[in-house]
Amino acid sequence: MREQDRKRYLADLTDRYVKRRIGRRDFMRAAGKLGLGLGALGLSRPFGGNFIRTAEAADLKPSDEVLAWVKDVSKPFAGTTLKLATESTPPSNAINSQLKPYFEQASGMTVEIEVLPLEQVLQKMTLDIASQLGTYDLYYIDQSWAASVSRDVFDPREQLAGKPELAMPDYNIDDFLPALVDGIAKYEDRWVGVPYDIPIFIMMYRRDIYEEMGFSAPKSLDEYLTQARAITKEKGPDMYGATGQMKSGHYSLECDWTAWLWGHGGSIFNADEKFTGNDERGLEAMAYWDELYKTMPPGVTGWTWDGQGQSVAQGVAATMMSWGEFFPYFDDPSATKVSGLMEAVRCPPPKHPLRTVEQTGFGEIPGVGHQGGSSLAVSKNSKHPDAAWIFMQWATSFDTQVLITALGGGTGPTRESVYDDPRIIANRRVGPGTTRHLDVVRETIANDMGSEPDLPQWAELSNDTIPVRLGKYFAGDYGSAKEAMDDIARAVDKIVAG
Amino acid sequence: MVQSNATRTLRILLAWAVVLLFVFPLYYWVTVAFKDAREIFDTPPNVWIFSPTMKNFEEVFGISFGFVTQREVLPGGGNFYMAPRLWDSIVIAVLSTALAVAISTVAAYALSRLPFRGRHHFVAWVLSTRMMPPVAVAIPMFFIYKDFGLLDTYTGVILIHALMNLPLAVLLLKSFFDDIPQEIDESAVIDGASRWLIFRRVILPMAKGGIAATAVLCFIFSWTEFLFVLTLTQTGLKTVPVVSSSFVTSTGTAWGNMAALGAAAMVPAFIFILLVQRQLVRGLTLGSLKQ
Repeated sequence: MREQDRKRYLADLTDRYVKRRIGRRDFMRAAGKLGLGLGALGLSRPFGGNFIRTAEAADLKPSDEVLAWVKDVSKPFAGTTLKLATESTPPSNAINSQLKPYFEQASGMTVEIEVLPLEQVLQKMTLDIASQLGTYDLYYIDQSWAASVSRDVFDPREQLAGKPELAMPDYNIDDFLPALVDGIAKYEDRWVGVPYDIPIFIMMYRRDIYEEMGFSAPKSLDEYLTQARAITKEKGPDMYGATGQMKSGHYSLECDWTAWLWGHGGSIFNADEKFTGNDERGLEAMAYWDELYKTMPPGVTGWTWDGQGQSVAQGVAATMMSWGEFFPYFDDPSATKVSGLMEAVRCPPPKHPLRTVEQTGFGEIPGVGHQGGSSLAVSKNSKHPDAAWIFMQWATSFDTQVLITALGGGTGPTRESVYDDPRIIANRRVGPGTTRHLDVVRETIANDMGSEPDLPQWAELSNDTIPVRLGKYFAGDYGSAKEAMDDIARAVDKIVAG
Repeated sequence: MVQSNATRTLRILLAWAVVLLFVFPLYYWVTVAFKDAREIFDTPPNVWIFSPTMKNFEEVFGISFGFVTQREVLPGGGNFYMAPRLWDSIVIAVLSTALAVAISTVAAYALSRLPFRGRHHFVAWVLSTRMMPPVAVAIPMFFIYKDFGLLDTYTGVILIHALMNLPLAVLLLKSFFDDIPQEIDESAVIDGASRWLIFRRVILPMAKGGIAATAVLCFIFSWTEFLFVLTLTQTGLKTVPVVSSSFVTSTGTAWGNMAALGAAAMVPAFIFILLVQRQLVRGLTLGSLKQ
């Protein structure tokens, strides 16, 4: 039968079926004879594994030495299943979707990674710790939870010293950036895992808009505000000079607040461990934020980092002082309208001298570059702690971090040596997964990094107490910034006092 | 009552306005599934005219329509292949609905027809189980499930969804059985039929509409349930509402992929409702006429 006749016959057949002149069974039988099967509709393997792999996945593979070590050391643990609940971050996604099979094949173990939004990871981990059931072998620990879980995970230094037969040759725990160890993976004298990823605030701006306006990268926070005002005035309402992650009651709002607070020489706590966001520096920061808020797109108080990133990606905002992880995404021409137009620089220096760690409380480290990193640790409740330790060493090793950075979209490595790897340097070009911003990330970690305080109540304070009240402030529920900050001070001090 | 043309036209327009109000969000969500990431956030939004792509469906279902070219890196190194999760949802919704309907039909018939001490209190007790917030039950259930080895299993989720739907299903079906005149049972008894035979051959066929309506509600509740699946599963299985949240990554939300999964997830529910539609309409009107 000619193709034309076949199509005409098929159309007639369908018409008769729709008009109920023939039954379903007759229709299916006749259609089948014409070759109109499920396969023709692309449904012959509805849940088949025809997953689209990336081109680079074929080129970037773990080193043979590392896999040989995994194979050798994992022999007693073959058949073990390891479980990890993690946020959907570039390192976790790269391991889960592309690198995990190499480890599984070499070790004979199975690694099950549950990818969830951050707040659900906290819920799952809290339940696992409270129940001591060991449903997860490894924990993904956001830096704001480190104090809460410090006693529920193994200190990796103790694991290295206690089980030398399981230690990866050249693991080099000293290669982790010291600032990250202090800011993310340390609570009091213990290591709460090792640094796993490092989203950190850097300054990102539209080079084309800045050139057009005759601006250069801001050298102070005041200059940044002036530029934001000028862009909003000149280009609004199509484009705004700044943007934010200011959703009421969300952790992201607390992150924005700390950047401005630290940037104005303030701190969350003083040496007496009392809330100090309501002092002179804190109120100056709020006044600055109020002014900057006027240069942001409408709706910013409903956005987390997602909306903030989208506002830049879609060309609505010209600048963003936020997570550097967004930069490789901005360079992806298939996803954004700003590919190749963005530049990354360090955040402007603080307006007043930063307070020292001694002047603050709970180990708070003031710095304009707010970090939101996380660590990876083996749970003390795990039924397979040694097997989990092998996986953890592999997942945080130099070799795997290079692959994560290359495959996982240009995320910031936590090891010093990875920044200098030729494969990472070779990726400094415009395009998805670029690493051309990583020098700025590295300098920010070394010079500008701000870390939140470590105290067991911090998860509650940073995810609820503070952002709920900040949200109410921007909704106009308080008469003044002073009133809002005083209310936060009362609430925070009460919770800290227990 | 004779309506003027103007009144009739006004009523039709009003009806269309209400329909559009409900349909528009669905339409917009479906269009997001067919949009490229750059088009999703266009201002003003491209509601009617855009360049359709199957890319989001390709990434979510792992089926190639030729829209996704080899890319160096997926966003965030991500893996948005979620087709097996749709299958999980179908299995759980269908089997939990079947279980809930099977148990509740028998229970509701007993509550409607069999006289026993404390029957009315029993009905109130069934209703009271719906008064407890699910979040209060979720954590104790986690411990129970861990002890019984039901964590992260189909059986576990099917059971909890069936349990969750049982009270509502029992009460709904009881009201349907109550609407069937007792005289029909009595006539059958006179003809020598046993209680089981009456239930199976006489009452059940008459309550088909009510059972269909109950099944639809159970199916939809299971299809959209979030909390229990989140708490009682890990990596073995997940349903569509729970995996939808995994499109929220640290570097933004994959709205197109999320919409593709959401749009596809509407299809099984829609098919299920179509299958029982005839009975459903009858069921919804069953109790409207009193004798």
